[in-house]
Amino acid sequence: MLDVVQQLLLMLGGVYTTLSVSILSFLLGLTIGLPLAFMRAYGSKPFQILIDGFEKVFRGIPELVLMLLFYWGIGYYFRTPFKNPFFTATFVLGLRSAANQSQIFRGAIRGIGEEQMLAARSLGLSRIRSVIHVMLPQVFISSTPGLGSEYALLVKDSSYAWIIAVIDIMAITDWIRKGTGDTVTPYLLAALLYILLTFPIATWLDTWGSRKKKQLGL
Amino acid sequence: MARHMGEQKKETVGTVERKMTDIVMECRNLSKIYGKIIAVKDVSLKIGEGEIKLIFGPSGSGKSTFLRCLAMLIKPTKGEVFLRGECLTKSGVDLNKARARIGFVFQHIWLFHHLTALGNVELALRRVLKLPKKEARERAMQALREVKMEKWAHHYPAQLSGGQQQRVGIARALARNPDIILLDEPTSALDPELTGEVIDTLRDLAKKGTTMLIVSHEMPFAREVADEMIFFDEGAIVETEPPEIFFTNPRSERAKIFMARLIKRTRRE
Repeated sequence: MLDVVQQLLLMLGGVYTTLSVSILSFLLGLTIGLPLAFMRAYGSKPFQILIDGFEKVFRGIPELVLMLLFYWGIGYYFRTPFKNPFFTATFVLGLRSAANQSQIFRGAIRGIGEEQMLAARSLGLSRIRSVIHVMLPQVFISSTPGLGSEYALLVKDSSYAWIIAVIDIMAITDWIRKGTGDTVTPYLLAALLYILLTFPIATWLDTWGSRKKKQLGL
Repeated sequence: MARHMGEQKKETVGTVERKMTDIVMECRNLSKIYGKIIAVKDVSLKIGEGEIKLIFGPSGSGKSTFLRCLAMLIKPTKGEVFLRGECLTKSGVDLNKARARIGFVFQHIWLFHHLTALGNVELALRRVLKLPKKEARERAMQALREVKMEKWAHHYPAQLSGGQQQRVGIARALARNPDIILLDEPTSALDPELTGEVIDTLRDLAKKGTTMLIVSHEMPFAREVADEMIFFDEGAIVETEPPEIFFTNPRSERAKIFMARLIKRTRRE
């Protein structure tokens, strides 16, 4: 029987993987989601329909189903890279996050409005420069609270990756439960760890973003 | 004093010869049509170097649309726009370059929320004119000084009053030394007690001989600085006269009725 401290030390070994999956999928979501939001806002009709479709699909399917579908289903035909659990978990979470982040950013773009763009264009800035110097900074400030929640969601949903054998906090928790027969402590410790990994950052982003938005009148 | 200066300017600029040679902006038969709605109908206009023209007329008469067409912020449906003789409406014109030479002041100001007053004025100097940081800063400060906002350079728009914001808006438009400044009702979104400071700023610009086309209903100001007033209704120019004529005896019936109403309102204020 392992005591609480020993259990916790074992589980800390999974923190690195949990954070890697969460942060990498967040960055993947950002890299895809941000351009999607601008293409959705300023692009032509076919683009808009395509992006809406992508968002609906990835936001509509449960994360667990997506993960198993890519690992077993698509992985059956494309062993590389989908039979790599770490890759598939990050990839699937990243795509879903792209759909979420695209919506977050689009909301911010809509909130900031056409006027800022028009004011930028009136100075002689090109469309792309207007986006970079006028829209993007404001979009990011406006989106910070939403991005905080999105990060928390990713950390929590990364626990599904245990099912395709990613050795994260959840996987180690389950090992300890199996090995020791202790059905309470491991889960409580896991709960504590997930809260510690999400709550401070998400709260800080929310407070900072809300204060900044208010301060700038966004 | 202001009145005296205004007259002086008119004397130097108002000669026929000058107007013929130094046309800053011109439009010919400009129209803007949205579906079945004709917002601007066949408007032709010339603005000479140092001239101040003032457009007024009922709301919804297409004044804003017309001004945006001149700045090429909206593509006109028909007609031509010239900036210093260069046609902006033909294809292949670099509109970003053209817009960089036209200052535009919006009714609802639309400063960039995330930048300080200085940042707002500096942006185009850095990213359009591509000036080095130090020079851009100096010129931006100079522009802020011209609108008496240098003390507020490091404040964000949300920390400024409407009148102060609009003065920054004017500084942002004039920092690039544009050929002309187009102002779309620069005071009409402000509280009455804040319009004065903006009008003072515009009066200063007028004294310096800035070429301006202003949409405004500030009649005392118009009378003081405008070389010519243009009455706009239903998307078209109804009447163009020197201010004195409008204030004493406009030709068209519509202008007469509108002027009477405006003067009554101004008196009440």
